[in-house]
Amino acid sequence: MTPLERLATVAAGGTPDCIPLFCNLIDQGAQELGMSPKEYFSDGSHVAEAQLKMLKRFGHDNLWSLFYVGKEAELLGCRHIIYADNGPPNVGHLVLKTYDDIHDLQIPDNIVDHPAFAETRKCLRILRRETGGRYPVCAYLTASMTLPAILMGMEKWIELLFTGPPEVRDELLEKCSLFFRRQAAAYRAEGADILVYSNPFGSTDVVPLTFFENLSLPWMKRDLEEGGTAGIVYYCGGARMNSVLERVITETGIATYYLSPMDAISEGKRIIAGRALCAGVINDIRLVARAPQQVREEVRTMLKAGMPGGRFFFGTLVMPLAIPEANIRAMIDAVREFGSSPW
Amino acid sequence: MEKFVRQYNEAVFDTDRALAIQVVHDALAEGVTPEQVVFGIVVPALEGMIPRLRGAQGVSLAQHFMASQIAAEVTDEMMSRFSSPPNIVGRMVIGTSSGDFHGLGKRIVSGCLKAQMIDVVDLGLNVDPVHFVEEVLARNASIIGISSMMMHTATGDNGCRKVRRILQERGLEKRIRIIVGGAPYRYDNQLYRTVGADAWAETALEAGAVVKHLLREVHS
Repeated sequence: MTPLERLATVAAGGTPDCIPLFCNLIDQGAQELGMSPKEYFSDGSHVAEAQLKMLKRFGHDNLWSLFYVGKEAELLGCRHIIYADNGPPNVGHLVLKTYDDIHDLQIPDNIVDHPAFAETRKCLRILRRETGGRYPVCAYLTASMTLPAILMGMEKWIELLFTGPPEVRDELLEKCSLFFRRQAAAYRAEGADILVYSNPFGSTDVVPLTFFENLSLPWMKRDLEEGGTAGIVYYCGGARMNSVLERVITETGIATYYLSPMDAISEGKRIIAGRALCAGVINDIRLVARAPQQVREEVRTMLKAGMPGGRFFFGTLVMPLAIPEANIRAMIDAVREFGSSPW
Repeated sequence: MEKFVRQYNEAVFDTDRALAIQVVHDALAEGVTPEQVVFGIVVPALEGMIPRLRGAQGVSLAQHFMASQIAAEVTDEMMSRFSSPPNIVGRMVIGTSSGDFHGLGKRIVSGCLKAQMIDVVDLGLNVDPVHFVEEVLARNASIIGISSMMMHTATGDNGCRKVRRILQERGLEKRIRIIVGGAPYRYDNQLYRTVGADAWAETALEAGAVVKHLLREVHS
């Protein structure tokens, strides 16, 4: 089976040769090519090359077109990214400093041909060309309810959400939702198979349940109403989602859920009840300091909780650069070993 | 008094800043003293949220943030009306680690600590380890608080590890403690030891008790 066939089989409720294994090697790319992060991220062919090299070396099942999260802010006018040698880049220029800036914010009509999308598009095209549809290619898109956090900062966004003028909040959300819809269309047009829909503000770890129901959920539906949910993966940026799973499934119809490492996998599976595909996600922060044998045991425990009933795959979270290669290999070997057993 | 405590708690839990401030002013109008507002309403409300952290509904980041900001705002206003200067239990400096530009966590912590009479000096974002140490000495503080949102800024050589090295080199470890917080520590509860901190707090609501414990250690 190719990884894409593996994913399609498990999504349809069938039994693949092994559960799909999503390993998010993003920060490792520059090191893989022996480049500085700034040089690496300047060219989409570098990102594609590193993705393909790491795929060959580790043998996981997915490819990423993501450079770094701040890339979306660049499409909306961010002019400064701060690079780090040992971790992901940061947004160094907040696009929205005043409420007037929200009013002036322009959403590009054409994302595909936007200069700030050029390298991402180049990367996507290389990945498609080189893997010929055998591997799922992932794209990362931030939900309208969460995107303002990288445009104005988390504190300002929470203040606007909870104490600011509702009409300003809604104007910004409408613009961010439009951006999401246009960006989703661009990624689909360029051949991304999976759109990871990142929404920490769609988790009750970040907002109260009443807020989730009254604001987060309606805006999620607005984000998804035009383009549909094909290829959409619900992801709360590492925040838990079990408490909102039922509502998201019934209200949006999203067919794949990428749990938090803090979510109990068995509970997530119980709530989903076979209606959607579920990823059990390893706490990869702990992979930095653990021994390979501990990693193997952790994977075994996760798969034991997630595999019964099928429609399950394995995922990682942020995969810090400091994780020893031996632990990445131990994790992947364990998924291949325990994920091939019948459930 | 009980009525105000209940109303304030509900307002804070509902992230309703305007209502919380109104409750405080209603309490003052009915003869509750500024000291009673802080120590009888605001601080118990913060402490009362701690059991909810572990409960089924939990406490969201937004509730945490709003609770701390309301607490800081009310405390600022009330302290200026105290009948005598408040007893400050200790002083700390706080900032994000070098390379980290995420300020939300330290702001939440600062708000919660202020209400508990801990004087917090905010050093801002992307703070150099040397600056942490220079400031803790210059301000005559006893605690360094280092907030990190990302794994590489929590564990990197230019973060808490270097602050620890400087304290060791200058013989300051007996009089200064380091507390850390932020997302990576929540994913690995032993990480604070790895980076050389004395303690960590999972949430800002719990940070008050941890900081007070460290202050007692230093001053014992």
